[in-house]
Amino acid sequence: MNAKRMTEYVQQYDVDLEASIVSLNHEQEVTGLCMIAFRDTRAWITRLGVVPERRLHKNGQFLMETVLETARQRGIQRVQLEVIQGNEPARNLFLKLGFQDVQELLIIRRPPGAPNPELTPFTATFNPIPHTDIPNYLSQRTERTTWLDENRSLLNTGGLKGFSTQLDSSEKGWAILQNTPFQLTHLVFSPNLSANAAQALLHYIHQQNPMQDAKIENLSTNSPYWHSYQKLGYFEVFRRTEMHLRLS
Amino acid sequence: MSKVIIIEDNPQNARMAAKLLRHAGHEVITAEDGEHGLTTIFENPPDVILVDLGLPDLDGQTVVALLRQQDTLKQTPIVAFTAWPESTAHAMAQAYGCDGVITKPIDTRNFAQQVSNFATGAKRRE
Repeated sequence: MNAKRMTEYVQQYDVDLEASIVSLNHEQEVTGLCMIAFRDTRAWITRLGVVPERRLHKNGQFLMETVLETARQRGIQRVQLEVIQGNEPARNLFLKLGFQDVQELLIIRRPPGAPNPELTPFTATFNPIPHTDIPNYLSQRTERTTWLDENRSLLNTGGLKGFSTQLDSSEKGWAILQNTPFQLTHLVFSPNLSANAAQALLHYIHQQNPMQDAKIENLSTNSPYWHSYQKLGYFEVFRRTEMHLRLS
Repeated sequence: MSKVIIIEDNPQNARMAAKLLRHAGHEVITAEDGEHGLTTIFENPPDVILVDLGLPDLDGQTVVALLRQQDTLKQTPIVAFTAWPESTAHAMAQAYGCDGVITKPIDTRNFAQQVSNFATGAKRRE
């Protein structure tokens, strides 16, 4: 991650650089990193990493215990993180520290390309949501979110766009996403959106942005929209497990 | 001899790959992230492009997607260069239009030949 992107990441996810730490060896070389973000009484641990030659030396445990102690001192009640499935050393460390599994998450992608017009046999109207109204729309969300896609992360993000739709069947709803120069990402839907309306919105978004790559992080494996995403050409890249630790 | 660009954020991997390819007679350019990789490719089009799919920032899949939209690079082999599980790497490479996959850690005995094969295949198609 380059410096510019790291700056955006810190700002977008409220990472606290004062509380985030690096570990050093005797030669003062960096051997590990652990970042922590705070929101109210919650904390999020991210970017835990240890250089290969320091693994199996409890370096990761030292980093984790240090940031967890900071979290305790700040009165944090819950610490959350996501671990990539298959990273057993990290998962075992989190279990040892008392973290528990909360939900399974998908990272899904869609390569550029216009959607097949036959995929959406719905007649619908679409309207852009004025940028100033986006916070009001997001405040309607009721689904369980992860740190990456909760409203505070989205509102810290630049380039948000929103679209509302109404199908002839009277089903209606909206979608909000981040549209970067290269990628569509951070896509969220209105609560209780029907599968047809989700599919219509996805179809419209990709029809409008056929050259854009798309990446959705942390979609719950129980999401009612996973099937709609798949119909539009999304596929699973890998999975994460969200884990929580109660500190009080 | 072919001109090869390696877009790889891990300096050790990039150094090792570049050394093997130079030893085999190829001209090698390395780029540590997607943005620099794209700029280098547009300024100095190579014969073969190796892209780490797990790049930070502008990630490997997006880089491949952007490259595949360039008419001037239609015949240039783009190879996914990745430590991901083989099945995931192949699925991703196919979805994004890569010409093949070279998995990491690289097989030092065969790596240069694997890259040469992609370059030769592209020349035959021209």
